[in-house]
Amino acid sequence: MPNTNVLIHKQNTARKRRVDQIMKAIFTFTALLSASFIIIIVGIIFVQGFRPFITDNHGLGPVNLWRFVTGDVWLIGNTFASNLYSVGYAIVSTLFIAFLSLLLAFPIGVLTALFIAKIAPKPLSKVLRTVIETLASIPSIVYGLFGSGVILQIVYDLSATFGYQSKGGNSILAVVLVLSLMSIPTITSISEVAIRSVDKAIIHGSLALGASQTQTHFKVVLASAKSGIFTAAILGIGRALGEATAVSLVAGGRRSGVSFHLLDSTSTLTSLMLEGIKETTGLDYDIRFSVGLVLMVVIFLTNLTLNAIKRRIGTVHVK
Amino acid sequence: MLNNRRITKIKDFFLQTITYLSSFVSLGALLIIVGFLFSKGIHLLNINLITENYLSTGFVADVFPDTPLCNCEPTIELGENVYYSPKWGIALVDSKDLLGKNVVEIEYVHANSPLRQVNDKGIGIEPIRLRTDYDMIRIAFDAYPTALSRFGAQNMIQALEANNTIREMEFQTTGGGIRGSIITTLYLIFFTLLFALPIGIGAAIYLNEFAKPSRWTRLLRTAIETLTGVPSIIYGLMGLAIFVPLTVSLTDATGGNILSGAMTLAVILLPIIIRTTEESLKVVPDDFRQASLALGANATQTTFKVVLPSAFPGILSATLLAIGRIVGESAALVFAIGTSIKDHITVTGKSTSLAVHIWAMMTDEPANIELSATIALIIVFITVILNLVIKILSTRYLKRKLGGAHE
Repeated sequence: MPNTNVLIHKQNTARKRRVDQIMKAIFTFTALLSASFIIIIVGIIFVQGFRPFITDNHGLGPVNLWRFVTGDVWLIGNTFASNLYSVGYAIVSTLFIAFLSLLLAFPIGVLTALFIAKIAPKPLSKVLRTVIETLASIPSIVYGLFGSGVILQIVYDLSATFGYQSKGGNSILAVVLVLSLMSIPTITSISEVAIRSVDKAIIHGSLALGASQTQTHFKVVLASAKSGIFTAAILGIGRALGEATAVSLVAGGRRSGVSFHLLDSTSTLTSLMLEGIKETTGLDYDIRFSVGLVLMVVIFLTNLTLNAIKRRIGTVHVK
Repeated sequence: MLNNRRITKIKDFFLQTITYLSSFVSLGALLIIVGFLFSKGIHLLNINLITENYLSTGFVADVFPDTPLCNCEPTIELGENVYYSPKWGIALVDSKDLLGKNVVEIEYVHANSPLRQVNDKGIGIEPIRLRTDYDMIRIAFDAYPTALSRFGAQNMIQALEANNTIREMEFQTTGGGIRGSIITTLYLIFFTLLFALPIGIGAAIYLNEFAKPSRWTRLLRTAIETLTGVPSIIYGLMGLAIFVPLTVSLTDATGGNILSGAMTLAVILLPIIIRTTEESLKVVPDDFRQASLALGANATQTTFKVVLPSAFPGILSATLLAIGRIVGESAALVFAIGTSIKDHITVTGKSTSLAVHIWAMMTDEPANIELSATIALIIVFITVILNLVIKILSTRYLKRKLGGAHE
């Protein structure tokens, strides 16, 4: 009875097609959901972050936005009784600390990458690559603990020899050291990829022209890989700007004033968000969303600036 | 010319030296970090740490009437600083608990000691067995000053020897264990993967199998990629603003809980899972798909029975990567789950993960570096093992792929 067979076959095909459509819809939905989270995050931080500026904050009155962004005292008056919050000084400290961390981590990271990719004998570069991968996989809280247990002590002793009274070692220097340690693996692994993908012909050309190995490495290889290396720097600075728990353990919680003295205590935007989180409510809690909003804007603007610089200098293309 | 070459040589030597030096910064840093964790944390690393509660339970008890005094010698060799009372058959020692506080620990109780089983003066009916890892807080007598733990073990033993009766004594179980935070971390791993894997793998399948290259698809990809650049503390704020209220309204939770933490972690992990899964889907040869379709399978069957099994090693390493991130994540969880260290863990109750446990202790006064280092040691051990497994997986997978290509 060929007729029923055909019918069953047709029904089967129709069912299969329906299942296909349903599954495709589900897959599409999961992709859309995943992509929508970035919009949700930005939206929710904007809404929650702006709330303290436009609502009455349970009788405390709205926070002044301009004052919040430019002022140099975290809170004038008492907690729960004042709306005079500002993070201006923390914005400056955050950028200053990120810049110093990059200044320290960038050369070390790039040179390590050069060593692994071009100079070291194979077994050694294998070992170093594993070291870098391990460092990259260590969670930030462990770096914070290390900073708190070792680096603070070193900084404390250092400031004692200079006759400077530091807050138990909590200082800009300690934060910078912790952040550099954390960003070295990021910078190294991305730079290494860029360095390894430099065209062999360029290197051979340089050697043939009589340049020494080292000259070639520094003047040709690094220069050709500069676009990728710059990307590494951008990611490194991103990690430094956004790091929270590790920084909060070594920053010292400065409540007011910008200080560029390396041994002074400090506050970054992220450490302010974590300060006193265990025992607070009301505006003192909600204001953390505003700090988060400022942090997002700072990171966004930094990325924009760095990417603009990268486009201007990155004329040599790397495959 | 000669002079020039010499300058070049000196320059080269200088540059080489700084290159060598900087490469060993990372090696040195890793060694120092691991050394620090070991030196501070290794002595607390024992089975008690993992099985004990963080908070200690206190007991108040007295001696059962008409139990004879012991007047016996210890049956085991006691250590140097252990003080023994022959009258009561108990040995005490000065020690530090897991939180680093000075305590008087019970070292040994003789089989015939009147203190072996004591009468619970609290709500308990059962007699309490005095265990050898309990901390003695105070022993009060009928006509003698109370012996307090802060005067040390020797003082307590002297007081015991001077008295024939005990009015009451107070002791507690050892605290400072991390059992609760371990359970929370395991719950977090389970729920996060439960939320993140289906969504992540689904999205990867859509992007690799169904999406046509278009501006729309590129936009989707960019949106997902951008998630990787968001700092984790911002994810924490998002969890606090969306997932905490969501779980509070749907369950009996009152604040941050394991579910809200897991949802937040799931969002953090999505881009990682999607990228890793997609990479493993990409290496599945198109021939497989076409063969399956030609045999009459539909797209769904092809995806689930042909493509996904071939991509399994990739999905497995995505899962392991995700577990490593869950174990190490701290900033987001401070907001999304909270910092209260608990012993009795429920999915909707307050508790905290191992990483936040460290943070909570380090921001307390005084900071507990020893226990933090021990937990950090455990966390680092887990992440290193996971990384190793991922590496082995990917190299073996790669070898098999290459081997297949050569045949």
